[in-house]
Amino acid sequence: MKLSDMQARCDRVPFFRHLGFSVTEANHTQFLASMPFEQRHIGNPLLGTYHGGIIASFMEAIASLTVLDDLGSPPPKPINLTVDYLRPGLPGTLNTRATVSRKGRRMASVETVAWLEDEGKPVAKGLFHFLLV
Amino acid sequence: MILRAGNSQPPVRSGYEAVGFQGNASAKFCRELGRAAMSDTNDADRFAMIANVWNSKAKGLVAEMDLKIERADRKGVKIRMPFNPVFCLDEEETILHGGVLTALLDSAFGLANFLKIDDIQTMATLDLRVDYLRPASSRADVIVLAECFRQTRHIAFGSGKIWFDTDDCKEVARGSATFAITRGKGSLLDTMKTRGPGE
Repeated sequence: MKLSDMQARCDRVPFFRHLGFSVTEANHTQFLASMPFEQRHIGNPLLGTYHGGIIASFMEAIASLTVLDDLGSPPPKPINLTVDYLRPGLPGTLNTRATVSRKGRRMASVETVAWLEDEGKPVAKGLFHFLLV
Repeated sequence: MILRAGNSQPPVRSGYEAVGFQGNASAKFCRELGRAAMSDTNDADRFAMIANVWNSKAKGLVAEMDLKIERADRKGVKIRMPFNPVFCLDEEETILHGGVLTALLDSAFGLANFLKIDDIQTMATLDLRVDYLRPASSRADVIVLAECFRQTRHIAFGSGKIWFDTDDCKEVARGSATFAITRGKGSLLDTMKTRGPGE
């Protein structure tokens, strides 16, 4: 799976363009992506921090990519998600690593972590379930 | 039924009397209800003010979502989000990405907390859980109903649901969240009123 092809697929999704992330690493079980901060990502009008929903959406987007069999696969159906917000989402480039915990024939479970500068100081962690059929 | 405090008319016989509220007890009940009704009027202004501040200071994603607050009181909020092709998952722009529904719930919980808790100084989402009940495949407006169903000194608990404004009103998502709050003088709302975004 070539990175440029994966990025092209992402760029066809209106909401992914809105998020504006780039996939920087992709293999069978793990994806890495980064998203530059934009005004449209703001949640708290006083602090100018990321909207919690943008962080969750970014993690969900990258999580959904990790379970694709190939570039032609239809997007997986999200079942549910849990996001743990650990630190303030200060303005800055946000990174996400999504790791497949388990992928069966019908179900997939993906773990994600999002951070600003230090992966050891995550802004949020996520757990996402997808239906693959 | 509108009741006012100090109403000299004899209390209307109600179901409450039938289950044991007699004489003075019934009058007392009506007076209390009257006071509650009066404070409701003051509350209504307050709720409108909070909704107004919240809406007018919207920035970034919340401004992008173009939210219309349809109901805002202590029991919760009902907010309408018009269809926006930017939030779609497909090139044909017919299915909303689930992340938008998650963001909408998060925002609605925030407003619900403000309405329920008078002295919020700071508020941060601790965790958010969302179930996607069916694909969000409609171009109809999205409606979210959210409430803060329990608050303590440090934590607020929220619960909400989302459906499309169509004839069948099928629920598309349900969510719950917990918020870490600090309470005290100098509420966040006052800060929002007096300071512009980013100041």
